[in-house]
Amino acid sequence: MTRDIVFLELILGFPLATALILALLRGRGSRSAGWIAGGSALVTLGSAFALLPALYGGSEPAVAFSWIPAANIQLRLHVDWLTLPFLVTEAAVTLAAIVYSWGYHKVDARSGYFYALLLLFGVGMSGTTLADDLFLFYIFWELMLIASCVLILIWGEGERRGIVALKYFIFTHIGSLMVLVGLLMLYGATGSDSLAMMRAGGWSLEPALLNTVLLLFFIGFSVKMAIFPVHLWLPDTHTVAPMPVTIMLAAAMLSMGTYGILRFPFSLFSIEHIAPFALPLMIAGLVSEIYGALMALAEQDIKRIIAYSSVSQMGYILFGLGTLTRAGIEGATLHVIYHAIVKALLFMVTGLVIRATGTRKIEALGGLGKALPGVAVCTAIGALGIAGMPPLGIFNSEWMIFAGGFETARIVPSMLTLFGSLLTVVYALRFFGRIFFGEQPQNLKIRSLPRAMLYTTVAITVLLIVEGLFPAPLFDWVAQELTLLLGGGL
Amino acid sequence: MAESTWVILPLLWLFGGAFALGLLGRLGRMRNTFLAGATALICTGGLLWLIPLFALTQSAWVNQTALPSWSGTASGGIQLRATPSALVMTALALGLGLLIAIYSGQYLARDRRYATAYPLLLLMLTGLLGMLLTTDLFNLYLFCELLSIAAYVLVAFRRHTDTSIEAGFKYLIMSSVATLIMLLGISWIYREVGNVTLPIIEGQDSLWLRLGIACFLVGLALKSGVAPLHTWLPDAYGRAPSSVSALLASVISKSTLLVLLRVTLGLGLPAPILGIVFIFFSFLNMTLGNALALIQRNIKRLLAYSSIAQTGYILFALGIGLRYDIPAALNAGFFLLLVHALLKALAFLSKGVCHFYCGATQVKDLQGTAHQFPLVALTFSVSLAGLAGIPPLAGFAAKWFILAASLTAQDTLAYVGVAIFLLNSVLALGYYLPLIVQIFTPPPIGDTARQRVSLWISIPLILLGALTLSAGLQSTPWLDIATWLNFFE
Repeated sequence: MTRDIVFLELILGFPLATALILALLRGRGSRSAGWIAGGSALVTLGSAFALLPALYGGSEPAVAFSWIPAANIQLRLHVDWLTLPFLVTEAAVTLAAIVYSWGYHKVDARSGYFYALLLLFGVGMSGTTLADDLFLFYIFWELMLIASCVLILIWGEGERRGIVALKYFIFTHIGSLMVLVGLLMLYGATGSDSLAMMRAGGWSLEPALLNTVLLLFFIGFSVKMAIFPVHLWLPDTHTVAPMPVTIMLAAAMLSMGTYGILRFPFSLFSIEHIAPFALPLMIAGLVSEIYGALMALAEQDIKRIIAYSSVSQMGYILFGLGTLTRAGIEGATLHVIYHAIVKALLFMVTGLVIRATGTRKIEALGGLGKALPGVAVCTAIGALGIAGMPPLGIFNSEWMIFAGGFETARIVPSMLTLFGSLLTVVYALRFFGRIFFGEQPQNLKIRSLPRAMLYTTVAITVLLIVEGLFPAPLFDWVAQELTLLLGGGL
Repeated sequence: MAESTWVILPLLWLFGGAFALGLLGRLGRMRNTFLAGATALICTGGLLWLIPLFALTQSAWVNQTALPSWSGTASGGIQLRATPSALVMTALALGLGLLIAIYSGQYLARDRRYATAYPLLLLMLTGLLGMLLTTDLFNLYLFCELLSIAAYVLVAFRRHTDTSIEAGFKYLIMSSVATLIMLLGISWIYREVGNVTLPIIEGQDSLWLRLGIACFLVGLALKSGVAPLHTWLPDAYGRAPSSVSALLASVISKSTLLVLLRVTLGLGLPAPILGIVFIFFSFLNMTLGNALALIQRNIKRLLAYSSIAQTGYILFALGIGLRYDIPAALNAGFFLLLVHALLKALAFLSKGVCHFYCGATQVKDLQGTAHQFPLVALTFSVSLAGLAGIPPLAGFAAKWFILAASLTAQDTLAYVGVAIFLLNSVLALGYYLPLIVQIFTPPPIGDTARQRVSLWISIPLILLGALTLSAGLQSTPWLDIATWLNFFE
């Protein structure tokens, strides 16, 4: 048990300490900053995996300190089966993004801060998943926003980064405030900020307040998931952010919204309480899915195409949650994991193409298949992956989500989602085809690519294939999570 | 020493210190750093004198005996009483005064008349201490005048600029009207009750007493910058030297708020009514302060409007606490009061550095601060983010406590208030964040050399920054202090 607690503390403490050291080293550690950060991210990922035996053993490692006794606020970290899939995904994405930065980021006097902030961004996300009290949850929830915002503000691409960072902050902060009010209402109802006590039950909310709380949570977390129409912050942010940050934003941070929905409405309230919101969630998911796919089709900037594809994919997840069926929720969680891998891969190849050609306009690209065969293969696998091609992972999760949809009596939205996924195939193939097939424009010069960027991309591609071929462990984790959420019923 | 001596000692010490420094400045040309050091020493002395007083008050408080007090005449009359709340505010004022004195050691170096600033600073603190300690309305009026006169002169300290004179004059006129109204109130209360010592005996309710309460409500509200009587504030804070604005915005205006609370309740105004008044004006303060801050181009005016908004948040918390009798809300309000004092002082002092070294007055002038003064960029953005209520800084803890306490009221007015509060905190991001963005925007090419900041300036900044960070990461001690503020009778 003590061993598990050490791992639990390492997940947050190690990168936090590393970030502090990198910041204190200032310019001196610039050269090795990338290595140090990478090592730290590896420790985080390793510690997350090291908690698996304890979870399989049926225990839930937790650690708690009294923090603000006057207000009954504790500092409590805790791992359960709901935490784990998100924690591992997020830690893996952070590691991949940092390794990718070794090639992407040019070392200068401020590199230490860059890697420190990437680590802090990761800490924000792992802290959000580990926090077992409301106060701490919100602090980490905002930490990921602050760290990513500073990264965009300082290292973003283009002159508009200041404005974009502002828009990002204010937009998502409004969502956070809704979440905050929801948290405070829970805090008021239970008189404690401990989630463990809330899960234990023995508290109640008036029906009117209960619906308000749920509404606040659903809208607030949807902002983070970039669901239409509260997705407006996403395309600009993803476009302007430096590529490693975009990878972390798209592959990991968006799914924190999913985690929030699962952690608060789904695990604290019973299905009957959520039932009135089921159809709105499904419709919001559906609209988001189709809108995102259409925008991805219309976009000319390759980074924005992939950015809009996130809006679309988060739509699937919300739809899956909205079905309120075992298959749907299982599919949604699996989709978080598979989407993280595919989205990381797609942004990585986008970054490679931009680095090689210096342009992001899709009409200025073409025929790169000959010059960059490796990248082309990776992109092809990524494009097939997002299109839901078996045996790549997203096929599994989409299958579950659709199955969940048809399990409910709501056939029309379920049919529409199914057809909506056709649009995904179209934009994925357009993305791949327009870049790699056809004639290479005359004036397009190909520059050489950094090895770190290439290798990470290949590694993620391999991971995508492996996870598609051997989905059993993931399914097992998620099944455990569902048992936790639904108590085996439903 | 007798108990009563300890009560008056800090006052006499500061008052004497002010005169001694004034005299020294007259006798010969003293170096700025010498005067700053002497002021800092006097403030430290004042803090040291407070230690036994703290012990006495605490034992009296625990044992439920009479609080330490000092009376000038045997038959009541002039009376000072060391309430826990007064002591905490005094300590805060002296602590900030100490840091600001050190800061001035460099910051005022280029002003020709620096020698006059220090005695005035001490006089201002004396007035503040008196206002906090006295239980007698007439003395309250006198100390208030002492504070104000010193403040007028300090606001107009840089008299070579027309705007400073104008701001000082505006402050003088509006503030004098406020003190006059208070004087009128005193006469009415005296006419009715026959004495002016707080608390007035209960059960007395008459038109004249009510008018007297109203006079104090208006007068002290004007002094603490409650909208719509706030119009002097942006000019005064905007034109005064940053060190003075820091003190005015952090402790002085907020102490007047505390005095307002003490006096009106002591005069027999029922708490729920005062609560409603506070809640109503808090909406006005928040909305007006934030909306007007959004359109400011001058950094100090922006910070001044942000002070108005923050006064609104404090009023809201106190109002909820008084209206619905929720002690947690009062504590949350006092917690914000403390935290705001630290954050706002830090913001003004950081701004002062940019002004001192680069002449920055407008928001756009802050461009490149992060490259030239990394420390200042850090303290400035910490203070701004804290004021915006971004976790894990102290402003967020305050926001959490206030909202949590307001939601327990379970009343429509409270819910509406929470909604307005949240809308305002979003509105506030609209001016805090661009400032931070501006600080971190790279400077135009060729202007990137890192500059050295004098120790006189960097030490107070580091200390204050560490204090604010600690208040955010571990708010328990500050919450305890905030509960002390609750005992003002």
